[in-house]
Amino acid sequence: MSPTVAANGETQRPTTETPREPVLRVDDLRAYYRTRHFGVGREVKAVDGVSFEVRDNEIYGLAGESSSGKSTLLKAVAAAMRPPLQVVGGTARLRFLQAKSLHEASSAELAQLRWRKLSYIMQGSMSALNPVRRVRRSFEDFAARHLRETGAAFEAKVVAHLSQLRLDKSVLDAFPHELSGGMRQRVTIALATICRPDLVIADEPTTALDVVVQKDVLDMIRDLQRQSGSSLLLVTHDLGVHAYLTDRLAIMYGGRLVEEAPTEALFGNPQHPYAKHLIASLPRIGEEAPKAALAGGPPNLAEPPAGCRFHPRCPLAMERCRREAPVMTRVAPNHRVACFAVAGSA
Amino acid sequence: MLATLRDLFLYNPEFRIGAILLGLIAGMAALSLASPYAPLDTFVVAPDLPPSFAHPFGTTSRGQDVFWQLTFAIRNTLTFGIVVAVLSRLLSLAIGLLAGYKGGWVDRVLMAINDTFIAIPLFPILVLFYFVLRDAMSWAALAIIMALLGWAYDARLIRALALSLKTREFTYTGVFSGMTTRELLVREHLPYVMPIVFATTMNNMNWSIGLEVTLSVLGFTDINSPTVGGMIYWANQHTALVAGVWWWIAFPVILVVALFIGLFLLAVSMNEHIDPRSRLRRMGAEGGA
Repeated sequence: MSPTVAANGETQRPTTETPREPVLRVDDLRAYYRTRHFGVGREVKAVDGVSFEVRDNEIYGLAGESSSGKSTLLKAVAAAMRPPLQVVGGTARLRFLQAKSLHEASSAELAQLRWRKLSYIMQGSMSALNPVRRVRRSFEDFAARHLRETGAAFEAKVVAHLSQLRLDKSVLDAFPHELSGGMRQRVTIALATICRPDLVIADEPTTALDVVVQKDVLDMIRDLQRQSGSSLLLVTHDLGVHAYLTDRLAIMYGGRLVEEAPTEALFGNPQHPYAKHLIASLPRIGEEAPKAALAGGPPNLAEPPAGCRFHPRCPLAMERCRREAPVMTRVAPNHRVACFAVAGSA
Repeated sequence: MLATLRDLFLYNPEFRIGAILLGLIAGMAALSLASPYAPLDTFVVAPDLPPSFAHPFGTTSRGQDVFWQLTFAIRNTLTFGIVVAVLSRLLSLAIGLLAGYKGGWVDRVLMAINDTFIAIPLFPILVLFYFVLRDAMSWAALAIIMALLGWAYDARLIRALALSLKTREFTYTGVFSGMTTRELLVREHLPYVMPIVFATTMNNMNWSIGLEVTLSVLGFTDINSPTVGGMIYWANQHTALVAGVWWWIAFPVILVVALFIGLFLLAVSMNEHIDPRSRLRRMGAEGGA
């Protein structure tokens, strides 16, 4: 599938109407960390009722501070959970999956899905690749089974794919520590995208890189995505990356989404008080006034505040916010906000 | 691999001395194939002759040539150490990697067994085995018993590494790509722990050979298959030191001490080689600080 081009020549941004079912539809997903030590149970509600969808051929961004639950959300969506993380409710439905939710699918079904339909770019750290295995071995270990090709055909495919990411085939014979940070990150991207999956999930793919290399890698991610027409779910706390790359953006706070809009609209006209402060905190050239900081810190997800999780820090907090949790409400086409003060009674 | 060995040989005196010692001992073990005498024959030469050209290490009171007898003894002792090391390595790798990766009740059960083996005193148990098995206590039986007793320390060490490997991203990638636990452990985690296993193998051989010599000297093993400890046992039986036949005890002791030192130096140099910082310092690449 190729990107549709609108009359003004610009790649079409997703509109209100979605002709096809979205690639990924997450509905009221709740994923908790449940631990038990010496008979005392503890529950961390890292993802608590999140709904969104990722459409065809779009880059969907997910922003939030540390401990807002964005990495947990990714793990739940990728069905890459390990105890103590559990999905306790809601669904994550993938278009190319028979089962109603990812978490009801059998492991055989998931195995069919992974790499070919759904892939995961790991955080760009030193340990994304096995330090004692050559890059070629990583491709053989992780990707060969999904590509269903071996020997020379597999090798040719890998080399062709690497060259798309401007990597020489000599990296195949290198150990990860012999590559630069940018090369290593491009290798992990190549590893995750070699089967041209429909949906790629990326967890902070450029965090470990400096801005110059970061821009390079982001450009390559975008080129690759536009070429293959796949969808990308991108998680990072770096709003600059979101502004540069994503089509739509959602902001997460305390395990829930607070606002979702096309990226430009969100940066230009944020509605939720948290999103407003977040966007206002970005430095601008020529600005001299110091930034005002919100009092307090992100909520403890083991004992989140009742009602809206932002209310203890919110300048607009009302009595109702302490009792009820606001739901995501449409305030404009494609623009949803979870706030009583902004979206009215809802 | 060859380049690594060459560098070690050039830059690391411990490795150099250890390799030379072990090379000499291995060469001596290989000479057993050319021995003019069968290992169990007695009174094939004149007894109690001091070292000479005809008999470089002298002869025993049982009419055996000490040198040729030692070639058999060291071959058996060395093979014993290697068999125990290989068998116990297989056990400790399988148990350590699985316990560390799986965690939960698998880890708890395996480590409870593991700690039991660490805590129980091995020597009395081996003596007990001898008294129960008596004639059935062959060389192979002892090797298997020692292997079953000797895996625990390294399994703990390997588990500790596996615990850290389990949280690395490439492990997640492997799980996500659908690798089975066995594939993941063998193809991703095993290569990572191998260098450390090499180093501990030397220590394990030292431990098993030491125990075997101890048991043999006391006569708690199959005294009819020649080992270094068995030779010392027979020398003691014939009161070799009182009778002035010192060479019967001295040469086996010197040989086994050389074997211990060789293995120990190799283990030390391996340890140092695995740590890149000490390797660089050794090669003179690091400045002051």
